[in-house]
Amino acid sequence: MTEKILLIDDEEDFLAVMSERMKARNMEVSTASSAKEGLEKADSGNYDAVILDLMMPEMDGIETLKRLKEKNPDLEVILLTGHATIKQGVEAMKLGALDLLEKPADINSLTDKIHAAQAKKMLIVEKKNEEMIKKIMATKGW
Amino acid sequence: MKSGEMHVQYDAIGGAGLQFFGKVSASIAHELKNVLAIINENAGLLEDLSYAAQRGSAIDPERLNRACLQFTKQIQRADGIMKNMSRFAHSVDVFDAQVALHELVCLVANLAGRLAAMRKLTIEVTPAAIPIAFSGNPFLLQNLIWLCLEFAFGATSAGSTLLLALAKNETGITLRISGIDSLENNFPSRMPAGYEDLLAALGAKLSVDKDTKELILDLP
Repeated sequence: MTEKILLIDDEEDFLAVMSERMKARNMEVSTASSAKEGLEKADSGNYDAVILDLMMPEMDGIETLKRLKEKNPDLEVILLTGHATIKQGVEAMKLGALDLLEKPADINSLTDKIHAAQAKKMLIVEKKNEEMIKKIMATKGW
Repeated sequence: MKSGEMHVQYDAIGGAGLQFFGKVSASIAHELKNVLAIINENAGLLEDLSYAAQRGSAIDPERLNRACLQFTKQIQRADGIMKNMSRFAHSVDVFDAQVALHELVCLVANLAGRLAAMRKLTIEVTPAAIPIAFSGNPFLLQNLIWLCLEFAFGATSAGSTLLLALAKNETGITLRISGIDSLENNFPSRMPAGYEDLLAALGAKLSVDKDTKELILDLP
């Protein structure tokens, strides 16, 4: 199954090559070069995972993660960073990030995380569907 | 080098010097990590293409060329970062030197470039009409200019350009940082910690001109 991912990073050259490599792995990829653009795209797309740079202009990755999770708590976010302090890593996990990988990252590790994100999302969707069916059945008395 | 005298100078500024060194090093490390990430992904892309070719797919020569251009571009970028890092690291070798001030200001502007870009700001350095030399501790002056830029970053709107201009006058040397939006009379309280010790160690003065939106650093 094709994963739909959003890459947010202010390094345009990184976005271009990473996007190409992800597409070659049968993923549907959107990119954003700023947190603002990323938040807008995340709003309008149903992504399996967001790959987010920790250090970006105007709004850093932690703040972006917070806003992404506020709007969509089920959205899976993987932080990718040049350098993270332990404090930032702990904060990211507390805010619900799936993982934090250090640049340069191994593409196989990253794709494994994306697969895990999609699997987690599928479980959440299934669980929600089950709950909805249960609710309907309870109200209809079938 | 008389290490005793050097210690006196660095002791006078307390932990500010070490913090400055740490901030610059962290910024350089982050930038180099980004360069390595781009090189890593382009190398990976070549692996992907070669893997596909082994399975019979044709390789687009233009795609190979673009990857090679990225290697060259990122290596040049890393080389620039390393040159700045080396110049910065060696600035603590001497504590009483005569240095070309324009080059020193350009170095600090380059080192602060990533932090400026993080705030969507641009730094430009205007060369002085004549070459100006600074006599004293280059590391302390770099530290002071860095703190002035940190203040300017926090007091300037995104999208603006900060202009650094040097001039020599009868009493000494002036560095003007213009383009700062929010300059108030209480600006000293908004300056990063440690700047007063640096001013004292260098015998410098700091003032503002609200009309021209300038932070003015007077050096002896």
